[in-house]
Amino acid sequence: MRLYLLFPFTAALLVAAPSLSIFPKEVTLATPESRQQLLAEAQLETAQADWTRLAAWSSSNPSVAIVSATGLVTPRSDGETRITASKDNMTASLTVKVRNAKSAFTWSFKNHVMPVLTKTGCNQGACHGALAGKNGFKLTLRGYDPEVDFDTLTRQSAARRVNLAEPAQSLLLLKPTFAVPHMGGLRFRTDSLEYRVVAEWIAAGAPPPLEKDPVITGLEVYPPASILAPNATQQLIVRAKYSDGRTEDVTNWVKYTSANEGVATVDDTGFVKLTGHGESAITLWFDSKVLYARVTVPFVNANPAESSFKPRNFIDNLAFAKWKSLNLVPSKQADDSTFLRRAFLDAAGILPTADEVETFLADQAPDKRSKLIDQLLNRDEYADYWAYKYSDLLLVSSRKLRTPSMWAFYNWIRDSVETNKPWDRFARDIFTGSGSTRQNGALNYFVLHKDTIEMAENVTQAFLGQRLTCARCHNHPMEKWTQRQYYEFANLFARVGIKNGNTATDNVVFAKTSGDINHPRLLRPLDPTPLDGKAMSLDSTADRRVHFANWLTKDNDYFTRNIVNRVWANFLGRGLVHPYDDVRATNPASNEELFAAVSADFVKHGYDLKHLMRTIMNSAVYQLSSEANATNQADNVFYSKYVIKRLPAEVLLDAMSQVTGVPTAFGGYPATTRAMQLPDVRVQSQFLTSFGRPERILCDAAERSSDPSISQALHVINGDTLNKKLSDPQGNIALLLKLGLSDRKVLEHLYLTAYSRLPRPEEFAQLQKLLAETKQSKQEGLEDLAWSLLTSKEFLFNY
Amino acid sequence: MFRLDADRPVEFCDGTRRRDFLHAGALSTLGLGLTQFMGMKAHGAVDPKKDVNCILLMLVGGPSQIDTWDMKPNAPIEIRGPFKPIKTNVPGIEISENFPRMAKHADKFSIVRSMYHTAAAVHDTGHQMMQTGRLFQGGVEHPHYGCVLGKLRGSKGDVPPHVLLPRPIGATGGNMPHGHSAGYLGKSYDPFILNADPSDPNFRVPDMLPPDYLSAHRVDRRKNWREAIDKSVSKFETSQDARLLDSSFHQAYTLMSSAKARAAFELHREPEATREKYGLNRFGQSCLLARRMIEAGVRFVTINMFETVFDEITWDIHGSKPFSPISCYKDLVGPMFDMAYSSLLEDLSQRGLLSNTMVVGVGEFGRTPKVNPAGGRDHWPQCWSILMGGGPLKGGTIVGASDEIGAMPKDRPTTPAEVAATIYKGLGIDLETELPGAQGRPIPVVDRGTEPIKELFV
Repeated sequence: MRLYLLFPFTAALLVAAPSLSIFPKEVTLATPESRQQLLAEAQLETAQADWTRLAAWSSSNPSVAIVSATGLVTPRSDGETRITASKDNMTASLTVKVRNAKSAFTWSFKNHVMPVLTKTGCNQGACHGALAGKNGFKLTLRGYDPEVDFDTLTRQSAARRVNLAEPAQSLLLLKPTFAVPHMGGLRFRTDSLEYRVVAEWIAAGAPPPLEKDPVITGLEVYPPASILAPNATQQLIVRAKYSDGRTEDVTNWVKYTSANEGVATVDDTGFVKLTGHGESAITLWFDSKVLYARVTVPFVNANPAESSFKPRNFIDNLAFAKWKSLNLVPSKQADDSTFLRRAFLDAAGILPTADEVETFLADQAPDKRSKLIDQLLNRDEYADYWAYKYSDLLLVSSRKLRTPSMWAFYNWIRDSVETNKPWDRFARDIFTGSGSTRQNGALNYFVLHKDTIEMAENVTQAFLGQRLTCARCHNHPMEKWTQRQYYEFANLFARVGIKNGNTATDNVVFAKTSGDINHPRLLRPLDPTPLDGKAMSLDSTADRRVHFANWLTKDNDYFTRNIVNRVWANFLGRGLVHPYDDVRATNPASNEELFAAVSADFVKHGYDLKHLMRTIMNSAVYQLSSEANATNQADNVFYSKYVIKRLPAEVLLDAMSQVTGVPTAFGGYPATTRAMQLPDVRVQSQFLTSFGRPERILCDAAERSSDPSISQALHVINGDTLNKKLSDPQGNIALLLKLGLSDRKVLEHLYLTAYSRLPRPEEFAQLQKLLAETKQSKQEGLEDLAWSLLTSKEFLFNY
Repeated sequence: MFRLDADRPVEFCDGTRRRDFLHAGALSTLGLGLTQFMGMKAHGAVDPKKDVNCILLMLVGGPSQIDTWDMKPNAPIEIRGPFKPIKTNVPGIEISENFPRMAKHADKFSIVRSMYHTAAAVHDTGHQMMQTGRLFQGGVEHPHYGCVLGKLRGSKGDVPPHVLLPRPIGATGGNMPHGHSAGYLGKSYDPFILNADPSDPNFRVPDMLPPDYLSAHRVDRRKNWREAIDKSVSKFETSQDARLLDSSFHQAYTLMSSAKARAAFELHREPEATREKYGLNRFGQSCLLARRMIEAGVRFVTINMFETVFDEITWDIHGSKPFSPISCYKDLVGPMFDMAYSSLLEDLSQRGLLSNTMVVGVGEFGRTPKVNPAGGRDHWPQCWSILMGGGPLKGGTIVGASDEIGAMPKDRPTTPAEVAATIYKGLGIDLETELPGAQGRPIPVVDRGTEPIKELFV
């Protein structure tokens, strides 16, 4: 509470003097119908404020352009004028150029009429954009095919939809204005801009979309990022850029979505209301182009400058900058025991042994954490752990692969991890190989994906972090991917041949010189083209997979960010982009500067995964305590404390085996096999199933679950898995008794192996008292105590 | 079979008997839920008269309105499809010939024939809206009706307030949440998920009882020790996940210690004839299990008739692989539903439970009026039919109507939000009730101004 009261004072010391600015910074109105909404954005002491509706607006030359009381500029005649906004003794101004103000003008079907139909919902999935249309009138979903829509509107239905002789009698105007009955109700009024666009386009003879029509090249948004006060509002301005160099204000035609409605909500006009603390992206979709604006409301907290945080590498500096902007103070650094346990679990999926704990705690070297990190990244268990993770990613399982092929695939992955194969080469090797799937295990990826469509979708998910599925049937409604791009991309995988090899369990993968996948509506194949990449000629007989692999692994942001985000999430508990397998353009990172820097560093170091892990693990951010301070209780997104996470199913089972000294028996595998060493997820294990082992059917992070459930609790309470490990006569509990150690020694050993620390004196006293109650059976007493330790939160969680 | 040995006393090495354990459980520190309920009752939060339960049947895949409960016998052949209508025990109401037994119970349910929604025509959106009343947007996951009920009313006896049978809905193509969880209420209000097939001959809830080699005394001791050890470490107090872990252990112990709760899961206690009447398949036995759940005190049971729409015969009759053919309504899916649904209504009614148990059967959308070239029908959220009855809801009524080809609501268009309002009103929940949303933003159970379907209330 006291911190809260101090806040206005400390914050005021830091910030610059208040100022006012106008956005966008450059405005040219290039047609008689061009218009531009301006923003008057004030920079106040602690936050920005949108004064667009509060400022007084004026134009120095109203005969060139006028400005409305709310900042909307419209052209009058060619020339230049100065537009000024003022409030509270602050002013800002900007020069607006007007061109072609008196020229003839025709609305473009593609660039004006279609956006009207899209924004007013005519072609949405529930209305005429449905696969079957509505009431005999079908448009393409959100206008993904203007040629088809033009034909539908002007040629079909006896041209009643567009009446050139009497434009006002066109159904395209009568229906949406509800002049005649319309199931979809009123979409726009006769006095609206929407009406004028459609009516004037018809009156001009309903010109068709042309090849030479300017093509949209991108979007820009103002303000792209803003720090605002709680409960503030902010108008967004969106401009579309076209191939002829023109920009147009499309604020009214954009579809807006808030990524986090707990922080901000947005309406159809781009008007944002802040509803909570933190950060949200407002995603913008217009004509299959996407962008986002970031809005931030700092937490109400003490000044982060008071933190004792000491940056160790670039990750720390960038994380710190973000905390500062949000008024978050990071937690203190984790103690040695906590760090040790965390590093073992995150890098290698195992617990340190009692010996390893004691050695590390006793070590006085200042760089002992860095040394430990290096050692961990060279352990066999490191290779097991990451081979398992990449097997999740590549769907290794005996579901579709015969056992020898599954092993060949798994062994190839594990060898790659062991030799620290750079990630770009790892991917290249998969996609450019040919020959026997027994000899080159990577080729089994093609055996798993005999279907071109499945291949295209799983590849984009696994290596690019993109979900393409929607674009299979129509342009992606929330993303930039079009159906055309989908089939251009899928065609890259249409020439993969698989034939029988020399033995019954061997296959041979080869590149075919013919074969294509058709676009379902055009009924012809399209040039094989990576997403936003260079097309290949349809006639080329070169291996399309090589073209794909070249694009995939060279200067490809999606490729880099996908793996960086997955590795980051492994260590920090949450991806910089969340969920960690969804790095699409409209799902922004919680700290973009940090994400970009880690990704660039990864590329600079030759896609070296161990380098990436070392950089993350050596950062002060990774080594923060999970215990919150007074300021960062609510933060689970910006890494101001370590995010507590439950051990993954396999790691947990192995940890129980390790502490009890009793391995888990997996049918058909050697007795000492750990769960993390299994190549297959089809190995029966009730424990692994109930604790959320993935099935490796779909490439989807959600396949793995770490949510607690009643059935997990029932299984550890009553099930055989843990109970039999505890009572095993060959196990550690029996051994500890046989050795006749003192209670103190026994308890210390259990604490070191399970929690990587010694019991505190009060814990020791309490446990000794409990054990004393069990004199009649020391074995049972110790089993019960070990059970209680192994089902406690300190064991089940990585903290 | 479920553990038969639980019924008779068994001696253990430490001298206690299994029955002692079961008995002790109900009285000792292990038994909890009931006191909580009594406490709430004392505070007036629970009005026994308003204490209505609900069984929600999710007809995954989306039944075709025209081939089920809104037939169009006078439409052209490409609309009316291959099936004929039959009369029911309520004059004037006709349904498809695929549901002959259901036709004998038409007085116990009503049909809403004017459902529609305006979201994307994929399964997932419909699942969200039919289980929560809302489409998920802006990363906000709304809670399932049963989770809201659990949050507002708590558990009744030793069973969880909301049970999901047999498994959650899996992949249906949209990669979106399906709405079976507690969303922003927090995972502690998620349903208890059975995760087993009740038609499996070896069906039992896994690990419901301690193994023979663990005495009751030791189970109790372990529970207390674990709690003591957890208490000595404070760093997990603020973790949501850690709190959930506590609550899952707590619920597990409650289930274990209640003989009544365990018995509710023991389907083998039902006469063979009863089991056969419901149909010896996953959906049929789930419906029978649902009746036992309600009898044991579960407030809300959700049954997913299918887990996916791929490579399984379901209501999703696109006519081509990996989906289902239209004929499956006659051969498989129709009879499966007919047997289970009519047996459930009959049973509940005979046991006097129908008057305080709503039974709601919904698909996520309807299907195209026109039969497609593959002989099937595709997704059609513009118009479909649902079944509502039991509790305070009237039976034998038709609400709304579709146009002559079943393409659009003609009278009284009805939205998923109105169905949600109807379910909440039926459960006795004030529609103004606010739930804690993200960052504490209050969210009403249904958007303000959403009306329940008045025609269904007496």
